[in-house]
Amino acid sequence: MRYIKNKKNGFKVIRTEILFTPILVTIPFIIGFLLINDWYYRGVLEGSAVEFYGELIIGLAIIFGNIIFDIPFIKSLRELSKKNK
Amino acid sequence: MVKKRIIKKINNTREKINLIDFDAHWYRRVFHAFGASFVFYYMLPDLEWINILKIIIPAIIVIVAILLEILRIKGFINSNHFFGLRMYEKKRIGSYVFFAVGILILLMFFPQQIAIPCILCACLGDPIIGEIRNRFSKKYVYVVGFLICMSFFLISWYSVNLYLLIFVSVVGGLGAAIGEIKKIYWLDDDFMIQILPAIILGLIWIAIPYLGLNYPDILIQPFYWPW
Repeated sequence: MRYIKNKKNGFKVIRTEILFTPILVTIPFIIGFLLINDWYYRGVLEGSAVEFYGELIIGLAIIFGNIIFDIPFIKSLRELSKKNK
Repeated sequence: MVKKRIIKKINNTREKINLIDFDAHWYRRVFHAFGASFVFYYMLPDLEWINILKIIIPAIIVIVAILLEILRIKGFINSNHFFGLRMYEKKRIGSYVFFAVGILILLMFFPQQIAIPCILCACLGDPIIGEIRNRFSKKYVYVVGFLICMSFFLISWYSVNLYLLIFVSVVGGLGAAIGEIKKIYWLDDDFMIQILPAIILGLIWIAIPYLGLNYPDILIQPFYWPW
């Protein structure tokens, strides 16, 4: 797939990408863990886990779905920063 | 000597550009997966003032994205400022706008039992299908795309009658797979993969009480206020 790119803004673009990385990577995990946490505290501990199964399932789907793409993304960023040194 | 140096420089530059290309690829994938966080919308407490904000804030975000896109297409903002845009998006609305509009429509007009699996199809299903398309034969895309999207409907409608669960999962998976695979230049697959299954499931949703069946349980309960 071809992307719009420009040699002049290449490094600026990479910098923006690195700045966004913590947000892109951490927020889905926070949301996923919040959902699982809610299932545990409002569901399991209060004896109504069945009502909160949806939160557990969606939380796990978000976490695992994000891990699949976060690992190669972070790897690619690390490779790029190594080559730029 | 000079010729060799020039060739070496060209090769180095080509490598660097290829690396940026690779990064843009994974950046798009991560951006897609990040979109799954929007289900946070359903965790917000069910209070009047929060319900008003739930309408206003997503609408403002989408309007800003549309305005930025209009300015970019009209040439007031350079396309180079938008990282990860594809070549075919240079003179067309970027797929992130379609993605945002699709999610906004789902959040505003569909029950969460329909909206959540459709959002997961767009945010997680779409990039997985994309990777399969890049790495394996195209014939696998249809089958795997259908199975992945179907699994999101299976896990979201787990609480309903078994026959309804199978029917909804198959129909939803098919709708999402068709929405993703069928390419239309002016209507991005990021929009179609969400809206096509949502419309089909919306029709099933209307029919459920007439069939004497129960609606699926709510997937995400709103938080209590104050936390």
